[in-house]
Amino acid sequence: MDFLDYLSRSGDNLFELSLEHINLVLISMGLAILIGVPLGITAHRKTRWNPIILSGAGIMLTIPSLALLAIFVPIFGLGAPPAIAGLTLYALYPIISNTVAGLQSVSPAIVKASRGMGMGSWRRLAKVELPLAWPVIITGVRVSTQVVVGIAAIAAIVGGPGLGNEIFRGLRSLGSPGAENLVYGGTLAVVIVAYLFDAAFILIRRFTTPRGIR
Amino acid sequence: MAVAPAPVVETESKQSQTRKKLALFGTPIFIITVLLATYLWISSLELDSIEMRVLNKEVLTESLMEHLYLTGISTALVILIAIPLGILVTRPSLKRATPFVLGLANAGQAIPSFGLLTIVVIWFGIGVQGVIFGLVAYSTLPILRNTMIGIQQVDKSLIKAARGMGMSTRQVLARVEMPLAVPVMLAGIRTALIINVGTATLATFFGAGGLGFVIFNGIQLNRDPVLVTGVVMVSALALSVDYLAGVIGRLASPRGL
Repeated sequence: MDFLDYLSRSGDNLFELSLEHINLVLISMGLAILIGVPLGITAHRKTRWNPIILSGAGIMLTIPSLALLAIFVPIFGLGAPPAIAGLTLYALYPIISNTVAGLQSVSPAIVKASRGMGMGSWRRLAKVELPLAWPVIITGVRVSTQVVVGIAAIAAIVGGPGLGNEIFRGLRSLGSPGAENLVYGGTLAVVIVAYLFDAAFILIRRFTTPRGIR
Repeated sequence: MAVAPAPVVETESKQSQTRKKLALFGTPIFIITVLLATYLWISSLELDSIEMRVLNKEVLTESLMEHLYLTGISTALVILIAIPLGILVTRPSLKRATPFVLGLANAGQAIPSFGLLTIVVIWFGIGVQGVIFGLVAYSTLPILRNTMIGIQQVDKSLIKAARGMGMSTRQVLARVEMPLAVPVMLAGIRTALIINVGTATLATFFGAGGLGFVIFNGIQLNRDPVLVTGVVMVSALALSVDYLAGVIGRLASPRGL
């Protein structure tokens, strides 16, 4: 069976799996942003915590991805939850380090000026520091997303959803005719999903950056 | 930016110093503690016959050795391929190819490790050899990219100064550009090691063993002690390799930097 035949026959299935894959990445990235940005703010403001937070998140990047996903199987069982937990941890480091870098890049003069205008610490953060640090933070999120889209293909091994299932199915039936098509199809779809996310980030970055610094 | 950023810089260097100290002493203590705790936990359990089949000295040592072998050979091959290629592509005569190769290296990052490994194994056959080719294919691009960026960021005025001192282009490469790019290349080797330790965990799906075997066995047989042992062993291996590569990298960097 040739590859185009396979595509026309499994197009719907690949589309379905791609949606699952995108969903998995979106949920994991959402959680990673919700955890990572506050941790980055903490690391920036409470300098004593900075080394612990950054080295802790850095360790997650060193741990083999299959191990990071598998360790949650005893806790959550097989399926999407261990995949989401592992991917979220994997995504943290670039988000945290870019949040810190972005906040540190805000000119001290601007911080002083906003304090002079009578802004409190939290208002200053929300109205001045975070908007100015935003382009750097969103770049961290983009880097994380690229890594997570690829690693999400491993989620199938812990029973998770997404395109890894197509690759895994092909891998398990290697030797039978047409099995390699499943692997090619699944891999190609992951690459396309990665490019779609990257394109989306160019738009998001453009439309969410405050007009003054665009 | 006329306002003196001096205090910011100072706290930053203090932070990175604490981080370095934490990494230098904290990492080995952390690894040993986790390994010891896992060992004590596993030995306190009454293992059933299925768990005993994997959790014994022979199987665990064999998986570890297979993992080290896959990582070592593939990293050596990547260094042999990617670093000379990176130097070659940044030579003045080939400068026009640089953005093209960098673009390719960036675009290639979107390919998932699991998919690429499977494809390469389909081409070269199931087993150790196919997996090693797959690991090399996956880690070559990032290391190539690292080498090229390392050489590109060497200050151009230093190269001009060396030329002015009467060095030939080859001498400039050997005595100025290469030594200055050493830290970046060492970082690249470290990255290659980490990528390969991690990706070699998938080797078990292609009949090449490794510590992934222990993890996947634990998943398939629904035996948490087996799974946790695999996870802890492979994570400890990755963290130790990263730690040792970092320490060696610091010792091997030219002193002037």
